[in-house]
Formats: sequence, structure tokens, C-alpha cells
Amino acid sequence: MNPPIRKIIHIDMDAFFASVEQRDNPELRGKPVAVGGSRARGVVAAASYEARKYGVFSAMASKIAQQKCPNLIFVKPRFEVYSAVSRQIREIFYSYTDLVEPLSLDEAYLDVTENKIGMPSASIIAKEIKARILAETNLTASAGVSFNKFLAKIASDLNKPNGFTLITPDKAVDLVSSLAIEKFHGIGKVTAAKMQRLGISTGADLRKRSEAELVRNFGKVGHYYYRIARAEDERLVQPHRLRKSVGSERTFEEDLTAEADMLERLQFLAQEVAHDLNRLQTTAKTVTLKLKYFDFVQQTRSKTLVTHLNAADAIFTVARDLLRTPQLPQYPVRLLGISVSNLLYAHDLAVNYQLTLDF
Amino acid sequence: MKFIVSSSALLKQLQSINGVIASNPVVPILENFLFEINDGTLTITASDLETSMITEMHVEAKENGRIAAPARILLDTLKNLPDQPVTFTIDEETYTIELSSANGRYKLSGENATDFPRVPVVKSNNSIEVPSNLLARAINKTIFAVSTDELRPAMTGIFVQLNDNNITFVATDGHRLLRYRRFDVPTGNSASIIIPRKAFTLLKATLPSEPTTVRVEFNTSNAFFSFENIRMVCRLIDERYPDYENVIPAQNPNRLVIDRYDLLSSIKRISIYSNKTTHQVRLRIAGSELHVSAEDLDFSNEANERLSCQYDGEDMEIGFNARFLIEMLNNIDSDEISLELSTPNRAGLLMPTSNDESENILMLVMPVMLNNYV
Repeated sequence: MNPPIRKIIHIDMDAFFASVEQRDNPELRGKPVAVGGSRARGVVAAASYEARKYGVFSAMASKIAQQKCPNLIFVKPRFEVYSAVSRQIREIFYSYTDLVEPLSLDEAYLDVTENKIGMPSASIIAKEIKARILAETNLTASAGVSFNKFLAKIASDLNKPNGFTLITPDKAVDLVSSLAIEKFHGIGKVTAAKMQRLGISTGADLRKRSEAELVRNFGKVGHYYYRIARAEDERLVQPHRLRKSVGSERTFEEDLTAEADMLERLQFLAQEVAHDLNRLQTTAKTVTLKLKYFDFVQQTRSKTLVTHLNAADAIFTVARDLLRTPQLPQYPVRLLGISVSNLLYAHDLAVNYQLTLDF
Repeated sequence: MKFIVSSSALLKQLQSINGVIASNPVVPILENFLFEINDGTLTITASDLETSMITEMHVEAKENGRIAAPARILLDTLKNLPDQPVTFTIDEETYTIELSSANGRYKLSGENATDFPRVPVVKSNNSIEVPSNLLARAINKTIFAVSTDELRPAMTGIFVQLNDNNITFVATDGHRLLRYRRFDVPTGNSASIIIPRKAFTLLKATLPSEPTTVRVEFNTSNAFFSFENIRMVCRLIDERYPDYENVIPAQNPNRLVIDRYDLLSSIKRISIYSNKTTHQVRLRIAGSELHVSAEDLDFSNEANERLSCQYDGEDMEIGFNARFLIEMLNNIDSDEISLELSTPNRAGLLMPTSNDESENILMLVMPVMLNNYV
């Protein structure tokens, strides 16, 4: 017996941090706003839609953002407010289903195949959720509805801001075929570039490749690419799933031998990891350095710190120490990776924390 | 130099001070015991620079001398020898130590005794005498709350305060605070010092089970403890201790009285279901009923229990770290305890309902903020 068609909603708050700031400070409304540090080494954590018009995006260095948009207003992040809003929104989700999988403060999957209000239409639920979010928080969200997570997420992105998109089973394959490969969630910049080199630039191109070929080129994740090209995604909505680690790694075209080269790459990886930590509103206690040598022998070195960190500089410093201890790699290195674990979420911090004596 | 000693008697002395020796000392010489013989008395010293312990015993020796002997090998050798007289023959030129027993001969290389750090000597004007069982009790009642946060060094020790009519021991890790006070020790002066956790841990382990008197002396940099044939010297933590009296609420209007064992065993069960990071348990008190509960959203675990209690105060709900409560309840002797609360974000006070006249125990614990969106 086939399982019933699932009904998945993906809700994504529009320019979340920036919208919260504009909501709470009328002077910021209609203006290009970036949440994040304006200092020389800062990074934009979120940009308002007005700022995006100038080409300012999250994760961009504050300095570059300022160049792109000289009128850009930098606002300090207020994570306690964001996580409070995030809780408000989750409460709305939970009134429809307990199958809620938060991806971060501003994004979640809901499985409403069976729901608490006995409503058969996922579209009506999604619209109701959007209306309630607006009524209760004065913020807009975009919703995507479909029969699996992959499509629901694509749907919520199709019509932003304040959008609603439904992808029905009969339209799914056509839609996926027409999609540029960069738009696929789960296909990052590097994979997309590699696909372009292989002549894959749309969903339709991807669908022409055999599963074996995709696995040969991309490893295990090739199976997943094969299925999403056919609009298939069996992943379940997993309630209360929080990421346990964040990492980034690169395989190099040419193996590295010089310390300076390795440090340069580590600096870049540290920035990527720091960016992800920021995006997830979390800090980490353990840093792991992964090394793969020219002969594919792999090694990891890790260090657990006393305090939590989330800044690129700090992550880089630990990674550099790991690279040098016990000694610098003695063979050419083909891959370097940094991952961090032992995460502490701002969300946990804001709602559930041990109070301290005020000495 | 040469001396003869009973293997088991020597082992006993070494084991009583061996705890000082760090597993990876700053300077390698500290992996040794310092042996010094003076007119038939063997003085043995172990040190980690911060804390040193010294013991003395009588041996058969014709001459005086000194040597640093490797602790690990020596202890292992003595542990594995049947009890018998052993002869130590020490070559003070080459620092070679030879043990001979009825079983055979063992050669180990020692080090130059003059390289062993000098242990501070007593030059103090403050001294008191404290019964060993009192000291052990005070340490037991407080040491588990000592902080391990090296960023706040003052809190990594036990604060000992001598007042006219009492002696007070305080420990805190910033989340809870324990104050143990004795009124039955004549102190004769007022002073306060911070004793590092390691020193008190060692002292606690070394104090004999039969009551004896411990002489405590201190100056601005060191404290000295001596009893029977053992002496301990430790460097004091030279920091300002937090103003702890200030954080103890003068009056918490809501007072719960409950059987200690009932509460302890309930919290032990409920905590199995609590969040693994916060260990939060929720106490809801209304009328004469205490509702203990916990949930772990990540695993959809939850548990609830109801206990009867005496309660005088407003209905309230407050969260605590279960591990803190368990440790604290375990360290109270009385059958009944009182928990005095004010609001869910302020310190709670846990105390035995009956104190022996000579002592006073106060335990303070900060709540875990309740997350009320479930």
C-alpha cells in the first residue's frame, strides 16, 4: 500500500532580523537596513529588502555592504528579541501540528498531513499561519506548500516576500526541470559550479543523468540529487531537531604544502563556519580540524575550549593551533576542513538558563 | 646514607601524602618524595608548589642525609612487597637508591635533594586549634560547591572566616552558595583566608577517622595544618572573596517544609526526565501540595509527581537544576528541610529545620528560568 501523500509546509520569515528591527523602530522603515556589526571586520547577519536592492546580502562583509549601499544603516542584533519572536511563531505552528522542524529562528517545516484542527487543506492552514503571524507579530512570512520538504522549501522561496506558493504533484516535475541548479536547496556554490562544468545547469539537465553517474561524481549525496531531480524527497519532518555541529571543508585542485597557503584556506573556512554559527544563532565550544593527505589518509585534530566562541578570528586561531600541534602536516594536503560542535543555541539561552548570583 | 624501615609503615606514610603529587608536575623533581634523615627521624615531603605535605617517622639510621626518590616506582614497589624490614642504601654522589628486601634488590635513580623546592615554614601570628571531625565536616558540607572556573580564582577555594564567636566556611560556584558556621570553636581573633580546593580535598582525605586536634596557623600567604605526625602547607588564594552575605536574602516569605528523603528521592526520579543540558526540574507549590515535574522537549520525555508538604506562602512555580538540589539535599542530615523562596528568579534558601546548637547550615541556590511556552 502506498503511503498517503504528505502535506508539508515550509514557513520562512521575510528578512527576519531586519524586519524585526524595522518593526520596532519606525525610523528604519522603508530604509536599507543591515543587522550586524559595522566595524571593519563585521559581517551582515541580515539585510532588509531595501538593502537587498543594492546588492547587500547576509554574510557579506560589512565593509563591502557599506560600499554597495552608502546609506546603509547598521543595527546591532538583538537576539533575545529574535528568539522571543521565534517562540511566538512556533507557538502558532504547534497549534496546528506537533511535527514542527525548526531549521533556525526564522524557518521551519511543518507536516500537516494530520493536524490538530482536522483541516484537509494544507494551503488554507499555510494562509492561516501567515495571517496569524502577521496579526500576532506584525511581521510577514512566506509559505511554501507541497508534498515533500524539498519542494515546500523551493515553494516558499518562489514568491518572496509575503508569498504563498503551492506545488501540486502534477506540476512538481515540470517545475523542478525548469529550475536553475543554483536554486536547489542542498546544492551549494561549489557543487553548482561543478555541475555547470559537467553541463548541468537546470533541473532538466540533472534529470538526464543516471544515478550511477551522479554518485560517481558527487559521492553518496548523488543519490539525493537523483531523487530531487524527480521531485522525490522522502525525508521526514523531524521535530526538535537542532544541528549538533557546523562545518565547512574544501578539497583543493592542487595539494597544499606551504603553511601560508593552508592558513589562508583556514581563514576562509573559519569565516564560513562563523557565518553559519551566526545564522543559527549559536556558539560552539569544540573546534575540529580535518586534514586529508594526498594519499587520502584522513586525520582530525580537535580542541574543546572553556568558553563558547562564534567569531571567525577565534575559530581561525584555534584551527591554526591545531594545524601546528603536534606538528604541521608533513605530507601534501588535499583537503582542509573546520567543524565546530558542542553548540549552545541563543534560543536555549534566552528561555532556559541557570541564573547566577550577582556578586 | 642507609636506613632500615618497615615496608608497610613506610608505605602508609607515603600514601598519606602522595595525593599532593600532580600527575604532570610543572617541574619533574616534583614527581619525587623528598627523604631527609635527621637523627633517626625520616621526614618525607611531597609537593606541587602550591601545596606541600610532610610526614615524619622513626627509622633505624646511623647517619643523616637527603635524597629525592621517584614516587611512582617506590610506591608500586612497596605495595607489592610483603611486610618486612627493607634497607635503603643511598649513594649521595650518584643519587642511586637501592632497596634490599628478603625478596631481592631493586635499584632506582633518585635526584639531588637540593633541587627539591623549599617548603615555606611557619612564621605566623594567627593560630587556632580545631577538632579534626569538625574540620572534616565543614569541608564536606561546602567543598562540592567550590567553583572550577579559573577565571574567577577567588571562588576556586573555600572562604574561611574567623569571627569573635564563630568560624564560617563558605563555598560558591556562582549558582549556589554554601555557608557552614560553627559556634563552638574559640577563635580569639578575626581574620579571613581562602584555602584552595585541592588543599582541603587532600586534608579531608588525610584526616584520621579517630578525633584529634588540628592546629591551624596562617599568615598572609600560607596556611599550615598540623596533626599527629602530618603537616600540610598551602598557598592561600590571594584574591578578594565575593561579598557573599550580600546575596543571601534577608527574608524569603514563602516557606516550604518537607521530608528531606521524600523530596530527594522524588527529584532523583524526576530528573531522569529532565533536559540534559539544564537538568531543570519544576516545582509548583500550591496549598499543601508540591508538584515536581520535568520535561525534555528534545525527546518528548516528561515526568510528574505530587508530594505533600507544609507550605506557608503564595502559590508559585520555580525551576531548579536537579543536580544542585540532589547534591545539597544529600548533604543535609536532618529528616526535614525547609525551602524558602521569594520569586522564580531569585535565590532559594535550603536549610535543615533543626540545627545542632553548635552549628548553622545555609544553602542558597539560584533558579533556572522557567520556559513557559510548552
